[in-house]
Amino acid sequence: MQTTTIFLTLLALCVLSFFMGRNRSRVVAMRLGGGLASLHSLPQHYGYMAAMWAAIPALFLLVLWSGFESTILYKLVVAQLPQSIQDMPTSELGLYYNQLQGFAQGGFGGTEGDPAQVAASEHYRVLASSSSQLKAAMVLIVAVLGGLLAVRRVTPLLRARNHVEKIFEWILFGSSLVAVLTTLGIILSILFEAIRFFKVIPLQDFLFGLQWSPQMAIRADQVAASGSFGFLPLLVGTLLISTVALLIAVPVGLMSAIYLSEYASRRFRAVTKPVLEILAGVPTVVYGFFAALTVAPFIRELGESVGLSVASESAMAAGLVMGIMIIPFVMSLSDDIINAVPDSLREASLGMGATMSETIRKVVMPAALPGIVGGILLAASRAIGETMIVVMAAGLSAKLTINPLEAVTTITVQIVSLLVGDQEFDNPKTLAAFALGLVLFFVTLLLNVVALYVVRKYREQYE
Amino acid sequence: MKNCLIGAVVAFATFGSIHSVQAASRDSVSIVGSSTVYPFATVVAERFGRSTDFKTPTIESTGTGGGLKLFCSGLGTNTPDITNASRRIKMSEYDNCQTNGVTDIVEVLVGYDGIAIASSTESAQLEISLNDVYLALAKDVPDADGKLVANPNITWKDVNPLLPPTKIEVLGPPPTSGTRDAFVELAMAGGAKGVPDLKELSGLGADQVDEIKAMMVKLGVPLGVYEALAERKGKAPKGKDVFTTLAYAIREDGAFIEAGENDNLIVQKLQANPDAVGIFGFSFLDENRDKVQGAIVDGVVPTFDSIAGGEYPVSRPLYFYIKGAHVGKIPGIQEYAIEFTSLKAMGEDGYLPERGLIPLSGAEFIQIQDDVKTLKRLELQ
Amino acid sequence: MNNMSKQSHYKTTTAIQASLKKRYATERRFQWYGRLAVLTGFIFLFILLADIVSKGTPAFTQHFIKVDVIFDREKLGIDSSATPTEIAHADYSAAIKSSLRTMFPDASTRGEKKSLYRLISVGAQYSLRDMVIDNPALIGTTREIWLPAHSEAGSYLKNQVSKDLPESERKIKDIQIKWLDTLVEEGRTESRFNRTFFTSGDSREPEMAGIKAALYGSFYTLLVTFLLAFPIGVMAAVYLEEFAPRNRLTDLIEININNLAAVPSIVFGLLGLAVFINFFELPRSAPLVGGIVLALITLPTIIITSRAAIGAVSPSIHQAAMGVGASKLQTVVHHVLPVAMPGILTGSIIGMAQALGETAPLLMIGMVAFIMDVPGGVTDPSTVLPVQIFLWADSPERGFTEKTSAAIMVLMGFLVLMNALAVFLRKRFELK
Repeated sequence: MQTTTIFLTLLALCVLSFFMGRNRSRVVAMRLGGGLASLHSLPQHYGYMAAMWAAIPALFLLVLWSGFESTILYKLVVAQLPQSIQDMPTSELGLYYNQLQGFAQGGFGGTEGDPAQVAASEHYRVLASSSSQLKAAMVLIVAVLGGLLAVRRVTPLLRARNHVEKIFEWILFGSSLVAVLTTLGIILSILFEAIRFFKVIPLQDFLFGLQWSPQMAIRADQVAASGSFGFLPLLVGTLLISTVALLIAVPVGLMSAIYLSEYASRRFRAVTKPVLEILAGVPTVVYGFFAALTVAPFIRELGESVGLSVASESAMAAGLVMGIMIIPFVMSLSDDIINAVPDSLREASLGMGATMSETIRKVVMPAALPGIVGGILLAASRAIGETMIVVMAAGLSAKLTINPLEAVTTITVQIVSLLVGDQEFDNPKTLAAFALGLVLFFVTLLLNVVALYVVRKYREQYE
Repeated sequence: MKNCLIGAVVAFATFGSIHSVQAASRDSVSIVGSSTVYPFATVVAERFGRSTDFKTPTIESTGTGGGLKLFCSGLGTNTPDITNASRRIKMSEYDNCQTNGVTDIVEVLVGYDGIAIASSTESAQLEISLNDVYLALAKDVPDADGKLVANPNITWKDVNPLLPPTKIEVLGPPPTSGTRDAFVELAMAGGAKGVPDLKELSGLGADQVDEIKAMMVKLGVPLGVYEALAERKGKAPKGKDVFTTLAYAIREDGAFIEAGENDNLIVQKLQANPDAVGIFGFSFLDENRDKVQGAIVDGVVPTFDSIAGGEYPVSRPLYFYIKGAHVGKIPGIQEYAIEFTSLKAMGEDGYLPERGLIPLSGAEFIQIQDDVKTLKRLELQ
Repeated sequence: MNNMSKQSHYKTTTAIQASLKKRYATERRFQWYGRLAVLTGFIFLFILLADIVSKGTPAFTQHFIKVDVIFDREKLGIDSSATPTEIAHADYSAAIKSSLRTMFPDASTRGEKKSLYRLISVGAQYSLRDMVIDNPALIGTTREIWLPAHSEAGSYLKNQVSKDLPESERKIKDIQIKWLDTLVEEGRTESRFNRTFFTSGDSREPEMAGIKAALYGSFYTLLVTFLLAFPIGVMAAVYLEEFAPRNRLTDLIEININNLAAVPSIVFGLLGLAVFINFFELPRSAPLVGGIVLALITLPTIIITSRAAIGAVSPSIHQAAMGVGASKLQTVVHHVLPVAMPGILTGSIIGMAQALGETAPLLMIGMVAFIMDVPGGVTDPSTVLPVQIFLWADSPERGFTEKTSAAIMVLMGFLVLMNALAVFLRKRFELK
């Protein structure tokens, strides 16, 4: 029986239990003669309880069984194999098992196995089919039993509602754990691959190396780049592009926020803010296209017209477009921060005869500074993690330079170029992408934690 | 309360659809491999999908080496059925296939491609020899005393006084690419043989250990290279092996930029930067005649005829490999191969030559069509 | 004394007036900086949109050329007793080629003939095939039929190619221009709305390429995303806002969600690759995996906005429900959630819009492949709209630049729609 069919049957059983539970409660109540009022909970609560009893243990069993099925089968089948085969290294044994599975599913490229393998494959086939039948039977029996048990337990005194609600609460709690599991998944999966990388390439070579040339040989008889994994050029490239972006976004975003919150009329603000926020909603791939096809050639021509040599994929072009992208981000954050500065400060300053701009520069800004710094850190973390713009508009060669007119590459570009296409999980080249991912994750995490801390401290100050 | 019921149904349906995935089977052909064959394969796939009832094959461009690695990783629906290659399968890859149970491989030669050394149409046409290419791009080149030193050449003029004084900036493919393999084998090694000492080294046999070592000393190569090779091969290396190690190594100081698997990207970058030189398949040059021009290599202009005639020194065959065990299990594999090798596609007036593929000669063509029909098994010794 | 004080007073006044003048000038300058900053933002937005619209608009029209097609049995390679299968597999491109040769007998050399055939799209043969299958009586006749032009011919007809360029620098040759000019004079060309763009999948020929497959791919991906992210997100928000005890675990979850919202999306792609593709062995290039990854990306957004919406529900509703004896769960499900729903939906729609535009994580899980067929389910190989844009942006053919911009316009259209829906919901919510 296929898993889908089991699911559908389970669903049907679940619905059935619901109606049985509900009916049962009514019947019980009628028998007592007190009507529905004699029940502790409403009839549907009994129904829900029955449905849950039918579904949850069965579902749990199904997931558990499906999860461990292959491992147990492997252990059982391998235990039956001749000792000589069992003594093979794990990888070869795995290969042998894979082939045996192939035989069981009917043919394996026309090759013939040895008699032990053929016998084992027959063994495997029998085990696998009985396991899947047993799984279906067990799951459905558990569901029926669970449902029946719940239905039988229905009495007017049963606290069905509390019962159901307790379970629901657990489900809600489980949902909120998904976020934690995601973080855990990210850290574990990246860390796991990154550790494999650092076994081949020492950590200090990665962190302090000055050369990045990851395209190493993928076959024994091939001669390619020797594979140097110095991460510094990537870091410098990333920071260079992010700096250009921040140099555009911070003045424009901050001044816009100041103007909109301190000077502009309500109507002007109501129209302008959403329009500028469109910039934040534009997908990054669109910015990438814009950067590569419009901005980069423009900057190149502009540079050439004044006699500068500009690379076709200058950090300038990618940075400029990235800056445009984060303008609304800086703007909204600064807007929030500026609005949080108490009006009493402004009024005091204006009352002393200061002009509006003096008030802003001498009073509001110093008060808002920590918050704004936090906002800029958040914007920087955004710029560092941005991928599509740099994939489409920045370069590929890792050059250690701080000249924004040259082409540099970034961490995210390298992750994409290492992973798109050729993937083989035993090659430092692929693993390097995970090491880069790890660095990226921690750098952005650090920036965020610091920024959120700073912003929170700042808020508390005025609350 | 109805909401809850709906929610439960949705949750169930979601779980169910995720679980049913494992049982789902694949009914479209999955193709990976060379970015040079990719444009031809996609055209064939598109016509195949439009003119038959089969699903259109899914094609990913992963590079020849990457494709063969995926292809040889085993049998089953989560491995590709066909891989494109811009060079022949290597013995090591063939062995890898065999150990992973991919024993039944059908090799299909589809035509030829030249490797163009090209620059933007805005710059002057380059006229270079293979030796110039070697001197510009090798990691180590001979200095005045004939000793190999780290490549000091910065401009093309340093390489050959007849060339322009522009900076050497070459965009080329990474090692996953067949173009790279073909380029180092044909252009770099070809150019290195212009250095007499290296040429002599390449001719020495495995038994001439002393001669090899003497030549290595003469070239200023540390003898550790020899030992490392011996260790890796498990036996005494030939002069050719040492030569390969020296000649195939491309410089890593930024003059040669590995531009990923995407040949289109290289064309775009050349257009933006007139001083740069790009290395990619002839079909891309042909497609983009309005943007880039091919360099004259050893006096031969890369054209359709010069490549088909074998005069152009940097040309190579293109292949694809079929996983025999998948034929019949996944619908459309053989039919796709038949479409690829039909007269309509591969013939001299077919739609592939129109796109820049250099067609096979008559006898080769008939042989290949026959191989595809009988699914002739590839045997490498 | 008096005099002196007056003088000093006068001095001070002038000093103050001078400094005031300066200060007001500074004030005005400062205001102008602000206006300039806002204006800069507007200019950037305008340039971006204008650039894309101007590049993309031509893609919505397509040129057709009227050809006298001779449905000659011999050229089609079928005889009078042909079965429907034979008719379906007949050589329609040969029929088009011979018809073109009849119209322009001056194409003599092989190269010229090739240029001649390049006036008409490769896809024309398939439309002819469908026409003949519908009406086999066409065989043996000659009809005037509008066939789609090749993208290069099309771009000349759209006036995108200047005749003044030297021949070697443009794709379209002098002789083709001559033929096209003749066709235009005879009224045999026509510009129509480009239906192909919306009704077909990817193609190697720009004039045949469309976004239907990518749209379906996006739909399936977002469906998976919504089915996962919405219930889990709302349930998590309900838990954190209504049920969670104040303890370290809850704090951890909260910090986690805030940080997750700021993790670069490409890192989620790495997670998808390592966990869903390599560990769970789910299929590559499938909307299912894309949807799960995007669900994880949008989850923090949905949780954060849903919490805000639930938190904004007036405590009196809580108290009223609790007061008549409802349990916590009943209060939340029956009273709080319905009131908070518009706010939750607004947040979810914004999260979905974010997922629709996401590209980078999908590159990691193999959604960049040449995929022509429209996917029929969540496990079929497919691509999504932003990835299709990325793929086309990399294509060298000129025709794809305008397709890319047009696809961007469609994508932005969807985003505007979704955001408008969110704004509408918020407005209604505020009225309540």
